[in-house]
Amino acid sequence: MICMRRGASPGAAARQPKSPALFLSGFLLALPLLALGDSQQTPTIGVWPTLRPHFYGTRSISEEGDALMNVEAPGSTPDPSATPVTIHFGEGLAATLKQVRVIIDNNPSPLVATFDMSPTLPVDQIDLRVRIDRFTSVRAIAETTDGHLEMRSTWVNASGGCSTPPSASSGGTLGEIRFRPSAGGKVLQVSIRHPNNSGFQIDPRTGDAIAPHFISHITLRAGEKTVLAADTGISISENPTLRIAARTPLPAPLTVEATDVPTQARYTATWNP
Amino acid sequence: MQNATQWGVLLLPLLAALDVATGATAGDNAATFGVDQTAPGIFVHIGKPVALDAPGHDDIANIGFVTGKRCIAVIDTGGSVKIGRELRAAIRQHSSLPVCYVITTHGHVDHVLGNAAFKDDGAHFVGHAMLPDALMRSRDLFLRDYAEDLDAPATPAQIIGPDETVPIGNEMTLDLGGRTLTLRAWPKAHTDSDLTVYDSQTHTLWTGDLLFIRRTPVLDGSVKGWLAAIDSLARMDARHVIPGHGPPTDKPAEALEPERRYLQLLLTAVHAQIARGDSLQQALREPDPPEKANWLLWDEAHRHNVARVYQELEWE
Repeated sequence: MICMRRGASPGAAARQPKSPALFLSGFLLALPLLALGDSQQTPTIGVWPTLRPHFYGTRSISEEGDALMNVEAPGSTPDPSATPVTIHFGEGLAATLKQVRVIIDNNPSPLVATFDMSPTLPVDQIDLRVRIDRFTSVRAIAETTDGHLEMRSTWVNASGGCSTPPSASSGGTLGEIRFRPSAGGKVLQVSIRHPNNSGFQIDPRTGDAIAPHFISHITLRAGEKTVLAADTGISISENPTLRIAARTPLPAPLTVEATDVPTQARYTATWNP
Repeated sequence: MQNATQWGVLLLPLLAALDVATGATAGDNAATFGVDQTAPGIFVHIGKPVALDAPGHDDIANIGFVTGKRCIAVIDTGGSVKIGRELRAAIRQHSSLPVCYVITTHGHVDHVLGNAAFKDDGAHFVGHAMLPDALMRSRDLFLRDYAEDLDAPATPAQIIGPDETVPIGNEMTLDLGGRTLTLRAWPKAHTDSDLTVYDSQTHTLWTGDLLFIRRTPVLDGSVKGWLAAIDSLARMDARHVIPGHGPPTDKPAEALEPERRYLQLLLTAVHAQIARGDSLQQALREPDPPEKANWLLWDEAHRHNVARVYQELEWE
């Protein structure tokens, strides 16, 4: 009927969050057990404690206040192969953003994307679609131009990236770029037709892993000026989709350029409303 | 006979619900596993309307068998090797003929994991041409998340795909001796490996999961393909229909209507969301429509369907 299930392992009941607070206490209590547990079935503590010093050293990171910033994703993903993640930035943050990182703790490749922002394009919302491999925290860390760090996260329950078949729109012209503007030009969705193969998928005919082939870099340019640049990885879903929203109409024309690995092919298109 | 069948259909879900209410586990299936003869030589075990993470989750699909003069064809084997064995035992209570075919209607866990129970019977395993792909794609997931539904230790060899396949859009006939089954492989609809089985002798159509009755339909293929398949199914000369989930029916046109209405509603709603510029996140946030009241286990399926339809339509 459906391959996905919420709570796949026998210990599932213990990790079904009833409320964030309740869940957190259960999670902490379970830690010694988790360390010994089967890594295939038990949510591990995640890679954040390892990545934090690597990216941010010992700098303090604020985590207070939903109005300033928040991360939204379905608590239980309806499609593990394409889970929407939305990062909202409040007025106080949008204009001063320098960089935004998105991390999925328990994915095989936790670093989803790194966005370099520009004051020319004060974005107050970024939408992505990601693969969620298993029950995990999804977090975004924003760095402002004056070096301040803000982090917000949310929990997503998922199972296995599922066996959902390639979407009905799989295939098409590799690298075709579609623009879907809305809200009077203040919102723009950019979609790139690309399998974004992670290297973890199995070729059904041979049983071998499919070689990684994914979009590694996306830039948005207004004229000669780069207004947003993103390094992206294999946690981004098939047909990578980036949606940005601002308080004022986006600059136009806007040129998108995407690069994939390992072919280094470049795909480009210009939105000129 | 007709009345008895209808009572059986009504009672089984109630018994299943009782199982859950009393905390019974899959271990109690032996006492309750039963098959109904819905037409001469057509035997169906009705799956329980419980969630995929609830006790009894390995017994949610309709499975069964068809007897000819020479041999027997099994149609789907349930969501665990144990359920497959229950089915095999039920077959032995009705007939000593050999099982010559095990037909899999698609690659979802609740229909296929019982195949291993028939691996030593010398039967041919038959499925859609895309079924091997679907099973390979799901292999690691089945071994990881459904290990308890296989024999320990869970091994890839227990996930048994077809040795004979039906190409997309084609038909294949299987001779059971005095009875011929017609298998049809559908283009992408519920999944990308949907197969139906038609018995011309009793005009019985096994739809697999191309038809959900009462349980919320789950979309893993193409909403447009599924709606087209429903139109084709409605034109078939079927007097008895065995859906993938829900009670068998003798009124196929009526039984297909709620599913058609739901999928059409889904298609129209998501199309409108994309047209007005809603993101996938916004589409998933949309409140449930009143249609929810007509279906069981809505929360398990509906938002998944919205996500799949959104991705299907956005590149048109």
